[in-house]
Amino acid sequence: MAVIEVRDLDFAYQESRKILNGINFAVEKGEIFCIFGPNGCGKTTILDCILGLNRVEHGDITIGGLALPHLKTDEMARLVAYVPQKHEHTFGYTCLEMVLMGRTAHTSFFDSPGEEDLEIAIDCLKKVGMYSFREHNFNHLSGGEAQLVKLARALAQQTELIVFDEPTSHLDFRHELNVIKYISRLVKENQISIIMATHFPNHAFYLENQGIPTRVALMENGQFYATGQADQVLSEENMSRIFKIRTKVISQAEAGATFKYMVPLDFSDGGQWDGY
Amino acid sequence: MTPGEILAILHSGSSGSAEGITPIKHAVIWDMRMPRALMALAVGGALAISGGALQGIFRNPLVDAGLLGVSAGAGFGACLAILLFNNIVWTYVLAFAFGILAVVLSYMTGKIYKTSPTVTLVLGGVIISAIFSALISFTKYAADPYEQLPAITFWLMGSLSRANYRDLALAMIPITIGMIGIMLLRWRINLLSIGEREAKTLGVNTDLCRNIIIACTALATAGSVCMSGIIGWIGLVIPHIGRMIVGNDNRLLLPVCVAMGSTFLLIVDNIGRSITEGEIPLGVLTALIGGPFYIYILQRTKGGGSW
Repeated sequence: MAVIEVRDLDFAYQESRKILNGINFAVEKGEIFCIFGPNGCGKTTILDCILGLNRVEHGDITIGGLALPHLKTDEMARLVAYVPQKHEHTFGYTCLEMVLMGRTAHTSFFDSPGEEDLEIAIDCLKKVGMYSFREHNFNHLSGGEAQLVKLARALAQQTELIVFDEPTSHLDFRHELNVIKYISRLVKENQISIIMATHFPNHAFYLENQGIPTRVALMENGQFYATGQADQVLSEENMSRIFKIRTKVISQAEAGATFKYMVPLDFSDGGQWDGY
Repeated sequence: MTPGEILAILHSGSSGSAEGITPIKHAVIWDMRMPRALMALAVGGALAISGGALQGIFRNPLVDAGLLGVSAGAGFGACLAILLFNNIVWTYVLAFAFGILAVVLSYMTGKIYKTSPTVTLVLGGVIISAIFSALISFTKYAADPYEQLPAITFWLMGSLSRANYRDLALAMIPITIGMIGIMLLRWRINLLSIGEREAKTLGVNTDLCRNIIIACTALATAGSVCMSGIIGWIGLVIPHIGRMIVGNDNRLLLPVCVAMGSTFLLIVDNIGRSITEGEIPLGVLTALIGGPFYIYILQRTKGGGSW
């Protein structure tokens, strides 16, 4: 059975302007589903519908066999965890306190997390290699470190599905790779399912190269233009159509395996450089 | 009285008597000082915990217990009672009622807007506070300048001099309910303070949680203010001093706020009572003592553990 199933999802913030139109997909256990597309195509809106932040009126979403509109906030948080793109900084909490917040859905309304929750939080911090930062102020972390702590918090929720919104934006090369490696390890070792909105086609190629079941949806104007394997969906034709850029997918043999990655070459429509 | 006499009186119990102690001295300690000290502890703790909780749920370090219009509303209720009835019971009742009414009005004003509730509720509070402040000015203008105006002014500056056991018992009902509610939800205040989206995805019913906390702070604050008059500063500064000492985790911060707020008001009230022949109003002293103390703590901790 699929971990999450989305059927005929439509969504509009205002009646007149549809943001999502007829979205269909399902994600299996241990699978990564990458949602890929230009700015403003509706990636984050899909994630907000899945997370229950948007009230869905047309279409069905079932997570772990349960229909979404009937789920309470804490029930939702035991089924789906979320790693947001950016955290709104206010009061500085320690990294351990941040991860402990992931245990909230497992505590009763008038209660605080207990000893067992603390152990789980510590364990999750260790899993992402951030245990030595446990007493550090979360607000003072670098982007890559903060991303790992948020990942640990999502792990502490102990869900079967984790939703990432552009997990590597603003990260340098090493931290980007670090986050993606942790994501692939999670899927391999714990059979977690992942939905990820991303701007980087090479994430999908990288995950596929690691032998992880990866599917990509290419989005345009609130619809899935194509869904499938990375090299089929992120083809040179599709990239040219959606992004108006010429790209090349290159295969490279390394350590006995073939690695694929994509390089952008130029605008495919000539671009608009006349203004200069 | 000597410290030895005071200890003997305390040891003899509220209704007992001790050797060589006149009944008057006994009455001063047990019927005047004791209820006043207990009131200072209750009011200081309630204002500090309310301020700390509201700072968390509004994600704004500049917020205090007066934010949602409680102080201005309660102030107007008290002024109205002094003007119309000149009766202490009516002062309590109207101050409490208008304090709660002001929160309800602020909340409804905030609900008119569709955007982030944390911003609009603050805005609603500012607007309702402004309206009630104007109404306070109007009651001052309309008051008899020899009898009523001094009473109004004195009430607005805050005082615990009227404290007695009956009033204390009455005030403790809303204060206790409010403080227990805040204490029970203090872990969830952490989550509300990191933002609506993240709190929801971590499993917090943000609207329900925020509303309960607002109701609890309104009860605790209105219960305090209707007895003591307006005492500013504690709800803002005590939580900040707490943040510098124990950090921002509300599981620890809020109990610390209660302890520090209670102690602070008890000390300030004793200073205000004994430093001159007359009494210095509390609202004046909390700022005069709290301000430099805040700067001292800031300097000592270099702002550590704050936001």
